[in-house]
Amino acid sequence: MATTEFDLGKIDELIASEEATLEPKHRESIAYREVANRHVAGGVASSWQDSPPHAIFIDRGQGSRIWDIDGNEYIDFHLGYGAMVVGHAHPLIVEAIKRAAERGTHFAQPTKDLDVIGENLSDRFKVPLWRFANSGTEATLEAIRLMRANTGRDMIVKIEGSYHGHHDSIMFSVAPNRSEIGPREHPVTVPQAMGTPQAFADLVRVVPFNDLAEAKRAFEENPGKIAGLIVEPAMMNAGVILPEPGYLQGLKDLCHANGALLAFDEVKTGGTLTYGGAVEAFGVVPDVICLAKAIGGGTPCGAIGSTEELYGPVIRGDYDMAGTFNGNPLTMAASRATLIDVLTPDVYEHFNRIDKVMKDGLSSVVEKYEMPCYVTGLGAKGSVIYSEQPVREYRDAVGIDERISYLAWLFQQNRGVFKSPWTKQETWTLSVAHTEDDAQRYIANFEEFAAAVTS
Amino acid sequence: MQIDIGIVEELTKREVAALDEKHARSLSYREEAKAHLPGGVSSSWQSWPPHPIYVDRGLGSHVWDIDGNEYVDYHNGYGVMVMGHAHPKIVEAVRKRVALGTHFAQPTEDALPVAEQLTERTGLPFWRFGNSGTEATLDAVRIMRATTGRDLIVKIEGTYHGHHDALMVSVFPSEEDAGPRDHPNAVPQTKGMIPGTTDWTTNVPFNDLESAQQVFAERGDEIAGMIIEPIMTNSGVVMPDDGYLEGLKEVCHTHGAMFAYDEVKTGFTVAWGGAIEAFGVQPDLVAFAKALGAGLPCGAIGGTEDAMRMVISEDLHQVGTFNGNPLTMAAAKVNLEEVLTKDAYVRLDEINAILRRCEDVIARYHLPASMKTLGAKGSIDWSETPIHEYRDLWAIDDRIPQLAWLWQLNRGVFKSPGSKWESWTTSIVMSDEDAERYVANFEEMAAAITR
Repeated sequence: MATTEFDLGKIDELIASEEATLEPKHRESIAYREVANRHVAGGVASSWQDSPPHAIFIDRGQGSRIWDIDGNEYIDFHLGYGAMVVGHAHPLIVEAIKRAAERGTHFAQPTKDLDVIGENLSDRFKVPLWRFANSGTEATLEAIRLMRANTGRDMIVKIEGSYHGHHDSIMFSVAPNRSEIGPREHPVTVPQAMGTPQAFADLVRVVPFNDLAEAKRAFEENPGKIAGLIVEPAMMNAGVILPEPGYLQGLKDLCHANGALLAFDEVKTGGTLTYGGAVEAFGVVPDVICLAKAIGGGTPCGAIGSTEELYGPVIRGDYDMAGTFNGNPLTMAASRATLIDVLTPDVYEHFNRIDKVMKDGLSSVVEKYEMPCYVTGLGAKGSVIYSEQPVREYRDAVGIDERISYLAWLFQQNRGVFKSPWTKQETWTLSVAHTEDDAQRYIANFEEFAAAVTS
Repeated sequence: MQIDIGIVEELTKREVAALDEKHARSLSYREEAKAHLPGGVSSSWQSWPPHPIYVDRGLGSHVWDIDGNEYVDYHNGYGVMVMGHAHPKIVEAVRKRVALGTHFAQPTEDALPVAEQLTERTGLPFWRFGNSGTEATLDAVRIMRATTGRDLIVKIEGTYHGHHDALMVSVFPSEEDAGPRDHPNAVPQTKGMIPGTTDWTTNVPFNDLESAQQVFAERGDEIAGMIIEPIMTNSGVVMPDDGYLEGLKEVCHTHGAMFAYDEVKTGFTVAWGGAIEAFGVQPDLVAFAKALGAGLPCGAIGGTEDAMRMVISEDLHQVGTFNGNPLTMAAAKVNLEEVLTKDAYVRLDEINAILRRCEDVIARYHLPASMKTLGAKGSIDWSETPIHEYRDLWAIDDRIPQLAWLWQLNRGVFKSPGSKWESWTTSIVMSDEDAERYVANFEEMAAAITR
């Protein structure tokens, strides 16, 4: 029998003591941030590189390990928000980048690696045609435009609580506050950032994840208006939420029955869940696929996959899908090595093996200490979700107290494990370099955390 | 004098045939590439009639295509490679960083030195990074809207600021779509844009302060800000009139709006300190990309303390997984500190002195053309009267600059394609011979079309 709730008073106490332990380890990071503040806005290159208690500046990485500028060594389960499933400084990718650098890295002309990469992506994700970009943001921007251009319709349906990059068209209801989300059957489209015109929000209909009936309602209420639906096939910004059986196929059927298109945002799931990402894992091929993160081997990257029919306007030149750095030879060389030489099909057996160690180990800790949480994941992605009830959608996660995952993060951070900045859940990514021992360290730290919070 | 278009067409036919012959491998490879790449290319603007040219490698001021043809590179990847291809210092920086890991999505010590360089060159104190010019101008627009609490953006007719929706308006509007000059239509550049975008982005002609003042007089309290390429670069190289940039800044500020430069193309190319140095007017925000990263995908957004206030306070999240990517930052650092130094820009002036001989050719053959150069940027406008704003391009017959492009390609000079203008980017590693080649080809064409 699990205890029904975490003792938040105890958690506050433990947070204070873990923060006190963490701070002296990061004297250099804390001091350097003040220096960086002089010319880098906020001291960091992206707002999400900073999270309490303080930004941690990284020096270097090798395999599954990274070192911060204070010299602390960590096993890296953050992996640059899931991009480094190849591990840091993988010799094959290092070699590919060095070779590319010597041959010139940028021409804004077509070069030759690209069809090989396109072929590999088609093998994985089952759509034939690909274009390249420089970030997940650029990939989803083009996906949305491709859906609008092909249907001649304006509205986009997205899932509440999903992040699809920082461009204007879908930066809504990414992590909305409970007070502003409105009723579940008609969620309010909440701008995530200031500086997005309200008029754009009216073109985005938000629906909960894992609920086909609510998606259907959105289509019924907006007949002939919806260009497409974009979904992370496994929802990633609230732990790892897997789609229920039939949900993705149901969305595809629903979209097509209404003359709309289905896009998978596989920026996080592509290259990580399975060889063929969510397409393989859940057996549904969407109309448009967005990739980034893992496919670039640590270089800024993005890709948009679709069918010949939907790429028609681009092929005909009615729609210029363009960018100076698109298909950059350095990125493409790193991508080629990543996709063809490193993330081979057998690598995913390795991920599954480590994933099993993680899940079994963490689950037995949860059981032993009767904690109200559970473990979930697939392939290189997993998470502990601090809720007794299964989290099926964003609203299930919104009530979880952030202090729990913050404390879990501090415990790991103080004990040699680097995790993504804490949110409501803890999510990890595994790399080809991660070993069972690395997983055991994570589990041992988690057990220490469990013992402390339940004592 | 008038160019005989009959002769131009005849020569074009000949030059296309000659080009096709040189590009047998590019032509056949394109068919293979089409199996997995729409149109066989990774960006629509990598394909230009008569056919896309697949590049194999580059070194210094030269590039080689997959057929083995060698060219002097005046394209330079749409103005990125002003430092030259595979510059030994950049190669070394990449080699060093790649062995230490290239991506953590955590802060590293690589960003600050780049920011310090940008501050020194522009006088603007605060910086953030992204992965493309598109991301940089997207951030600029969002900061202007968030800071002012207003929605309307003013841009210049006929300028390109990246492919996000807010600014993909009136990029190359056709004569039929553009509307009256005093109130140009907001024309979506592509299918599939957010429908309301054109309500929230308006445009005015370049080099016309009165038109800008007019739009502020009419809608000043709705305007979040104005974004402008201080030199308009998608119409050749169009210099701002004296006082124009200063006047725009003043009218923006008078109405509580912000003033942003898109220096994606002019940054690190027209001068050490870009257009800010060249024209002495400092905006509230500036977007950089292209030449900053020395051939790696890059972008930066910087501003005054006041303009970057909301980013610093984290009220406005400026984000991106790859922002400040250590590999990009390592390349940018060496690029700015050791390669594109103040001294390096002297070489660009020497190259320009040679290229300027094209003016003698224009005079000698009485060509209806004029020439502009500034730093690494230059253009020949095939127009009797100088190009002063986008609409002036409409009078140009694009068959002439297209022939000029083909002519250079067939004679060992790679230029960026462009329909109505002929423009280029030079690099600090170009030799005198590289520049002389351009002039010689230009003269040969001048003789042919005026025969």
